[in-house]
Amino acid sequence: MTTIMKPGEIEPPVPKAPWLRLPERETLFARRGERCKTLAKGHVLEEYLLFMAKVAEAQQEALNSYGQTALPDAALLHLCRQHGMPPLARQNWQRDASWHGALREIIGMVRDAAKPATKSSLDRLLAEGGPAFEAMADRLLAGDYAGIDLAAAPLVGAALQVYWMHLVTTLGRDAFERSAAPNLCPVCASPPLTSIVHHDGIEKGQRYLHCSLCASEWHMVRIKCTTCQSTKDIAYHGIAGDAGAIKAETCDECQSYLKIMSMEHDPNLEPTVDDLASLPLDILMDKAGFMRSSASFFLIPAEEVVA
Amino acid sequence: MQVTRRQFCKICAAGLGGSSLGVMGYSPDEVLAQAHAFKLSRATETRSNCPYCSVSCGVLIYSLGDNAKNAKSEIIHLEGDPDNPVNRGTLCPKGAGLLDMIQSPNRLNYPEVREPGSNEWKRISWDQAFTRIAAHMKADRDTNFVTENSTGLKVNRWPTVGFLASSSAFNEVGYISHKILRGLGVVTIDTQARI
Repeated sequence: MTTIMKPGEIEPPVPKAPWLRLPERETLFARRGERCKTLAKGHVLEEYLLFMAKVAEAQQEALNSYGQTALPDAALLHLCRQHGMPPLARQNWQRDASWHGALREIIGMVRDAAKPATKSSLDRLLAEGGPAFEAMADRLLAGDYAGIDLAAAPLVGAALQVYWMHLVTTLGRDAFERSAAPNLCPVCASPPLTSIVHHDGIEKGQRYLHCSLCASEWHMVRIKCTTCQSTKDIAYHGIAGDAGAIKAETCDECQSYLKIMSMEHDPNLEPTVDDLASLPLDILMDKAGFMRSSASFFLIPAEEVVA
Repeated sequence: MQVTRRQFCKICAAGLGGSSLGVMGYSPDEVLAQAHAFKLSRATETRSNCPYCSVSCGVLIYSLGDNAKNAKSEIIHLEGDPDNPVNRGTLCPKGAGLLDMIQSPNRLNYPEVREPGSNEWKRISWDQAFTRIAAHMKADRDTNFVTENSTGLKVNRWPTVGFLASSSAFNEVGYISHKILRGLGVVTIDTQARI
């Protein structure tokens, strides 16, 4: 008798790429610092990138020595898994004060390398202490930048990144489930910083969205708007004549763009650094009439548009 | 939770001085000058199917061009679609060479006919081609149509024509093909996707 196979009985030839990639705690910030230094040579933003290298190195050290902190309990994790909600949502998660130590440590390590304008802002922030840290963190995480001290804010963002990365890597991958909102991080509900197309192993050619806060990466199919999910009229804008590793993926439906980085073109790409280093592309995209859908702590605009 | 809020940032030439970069004490002048010297290029990626065999692998087609009326867009690259569940980004050697087929100078771009007894191909219009095919089909159907079988049962068959459908046809195309062909009485229908 002939056996009739049912759907799902044929083993796939290779396992499927994971839908979520957590950041590598031991190396992520150190790699970011290295990438800053590599790109800084001869770059128009050389000074700033070298300062960012110092920040990334300080972040790695602060993360390596991160102490005890409260984690979401099993009941919350279970509830979030059931409903596809991010358990460490940036605006809802009750932060404890453990990240204040990371912020003090980072500022201590980068203060000497900072410009005078930044130095005085950092001194003021340190003098104001915990309540000022929390107030600025609330504003940053809400995307509400009006009137905050933009010279100190990137360092607060850096400390929050360390805190969130500590939480994420301590909980581990199994704590998280696909989010009901595919354009937001399933870990912390942040908008993505960039898309990144991987080049190696089973992830080859797959597009992931890189979280702007916790550096987790979640999968999304290619040729799709990361903001409004449209698959119509998606285009890729790049700087004519460059290597083509970084493009702006635009959507005519919602007039927004998100950068998409191809590791097949450059395996050393680091989302945060390469986003800063490709600032000329942002300027050209603004001229072309597209809105940037991602927010970086390290380049906070003077005005923000909510649509 | 504000999970559906869409937040846009404006990073523009005029606003860089007031952004965190400028406030921290770094001058945006050089980066602005560089941006001024650069030009944008526009490309598209389009999902399609490999037309060669019944596996119908998903492909991504990369084209250059800004979709402007006068500018001709050009296919520059082609690769397996990593999101396609059938081939997951892979292509066979023949499929990987699709770009050469697309750009081949030997491609047929218009209908041609070689009349019986002639050894020459003659260019004809699409209208002429469709009319000619329809006329041949009708003549064949009128000659060979079978309305009843040997026991007198009504069958309405057109047994002298067969149809092979494309492996790239999707469900709706399959439905329409089936409706038209069965309506004409065609019995022999097959699709390359079965082979």
